Amino acid sequence: MDLIQLWLPQFLLGALYTLIYCVVSFPLALLLGLVLSFMKGSRFTWLRTPAVIFIEVFRSTPIITQLFLLYYGVGGLLANYNLSQYDNAWAAGIVCLSLNYAAYEAEVFRAGFLSVDRGQTEAAYSLGLSAGQNFFRIVFPQAIPLMAPPFVNDFIYMLKDSAIVSVISGVELTSVLQLATFVNGSDTIPLYLMALVLYLVMSLPISYIARYFEQRLRAAL
Amino acid sequence: MEQTIIRSEPGPKPRRWLVIFDYLFYLLLLLLAVGLIYYLYYYLSTPLVNSLTGKFAMIIWVPILLQKAGITILISLISVVLATVLGFLGALGRISRFAPLRWLTMVYVEVIRGTPILVQLLCWYFGIAQILSLTLNFDPYAALYSLMTALQSNSLVANLDQATFDAFFWGIIGLSFNYGAYLTEVFRAGILSVDKGQNEAALSLGLNARQTMNRIVLPQALRITLPPFTNYFITLVQDSALLSVLGVTELEQEISALAVTQTASNIKLFVYVLGALYYFVICFALSLLARFLEARFARAY
Repeated sequence: MDLIQLWLPQFLLGALYTLIYCVVSFPLALLLGLVLSFMKGSRFTWLRTPAVIFIEVFRSTPIITQLFLLYYGVGGLLANYNLSQYDNAWAAGIVCLSLNYAAYEAEVFRAGFLSVDRGQTEAAYSLGLSAGQNFFRIVFPQAIPLMAPPFVNDFIYMLKDSAIVSVISGVELTSVLQLATFVNGSDTIPLYLMALVLYLVMSLPISYIARYFEQRLRAAL
Repeated sequence: MEQTIIRSEPGPKPRRWLVIFDYLFYLLLLLLAVGLIYYLYYYLSTPLVNSLTGKFAMIIWVPILLQKAGITILISLISVVLATVLGFLGALGRISRFAPLRWLTMVYVEVIRGTPILVQLLCWYFGIAQILSLTLNFDPYAALYSLMTALQSNSLVANLDQATFDAFFWGIIGLSFNYGAYLTEVFRAGILSVDKGQNEAALSLGLNARQTMNRIVLPQALRITLPPFTNYFITLVQDSALLSVLGVTELEQEISALAVTQTASNIKLFVYVLGALYYFVICFALSLLARFLEARFARAY
């Protein structure tokens, strides 16, 4: 299987770039999702409506459409303002993944904050804590273990969704796979198997760990 | 009732002057709507490739994209039917008594759920399809042609393009296998959520296993199954956009084809936004339907 030995270093490099895409995009998505959940739960219409529009639009359009819109559409527009050094696959991929997953994380945050018992908030107010102190010291720490399993699941989804940047010529495991199958026209099955195994090696251990911690969390609740 | 406000009353006194921004926001929305109509009317009436001049020339794209949106919906419907069949078979395999069948289905579900759908589509169209056409001489278009010839109606498929139909076929197969794995878990959760007492009562009344499944378990499992199923259908409509990578002429492919011919960058952005609007309308309507069905089915008997 010298074909596998020949291509394995490049496949591992592609897997590393996949991890880089996800590790950079996921915290941005979490941060933006937190801000969106605050905006969506606000009593002001001028904060609620843009957040609702953002979440509904980014959850109802395919990620490849968003990616093309950002890379070709907004990227073409950047050339008019002399900002075309930002028109590369890295920036477009990270921005697209962050915005798309922020819409999903906002819903997870909202569900998490609503799952914390109302009695905690009422007790906090009766003890004289302000709204900000109530949120950051009482509600948010109790909501974190409830929101951790969906976040890990979303990270696994992002590991797989990062394959999308290969259609805008971003370097990723899928793009290395496309290059390898293009170079070897005939013997492509070992390459596909190698890519599948690498994706499984990246996602299965995380999902098993997540399932284990989810069972422990459910037992503790 | 849907909870939209995170903080509970009693809270600190609301700052009344910030509410003024609500009215400013409505004014801003009105200005944005007027500005959008002005933008569309005055700046986007450039002539198209086929020399349609005049105002509102962009309007020609609307029925073109609408036809391709119909193809997208057709692909999604066929894929969801096949995925439901595969998911149901997979669910029955996951809860089967035969350990090899359980293991086989578990491997199928874990492999499909652990790899990206783009890699699976590439594997189906550029890997498995090539191998099947080289070793077994299996060609989807030839198979369909011979089937329609046997049914005495091959003139219906005579002017189908072979490469396009092959891409359609393998794309739909790839989508169905991917969503069959997710729907396996959904159906398995639905079947397992029905109380075991129902099973025991049915068996004690003399129904055999097939009648128990068809008449007792499955109708009750439908309540639990329907919300995730509609969510996956919406995600399937969005993932059908990935078929454009295989060259299938559906909505995303048409958006890219229309946009690549535009040189002005703001018209290019307009094409992408218009196409995203089509997906938004389809998926938003489906998600409203899903929420309605979920509320309807949440009411117990």
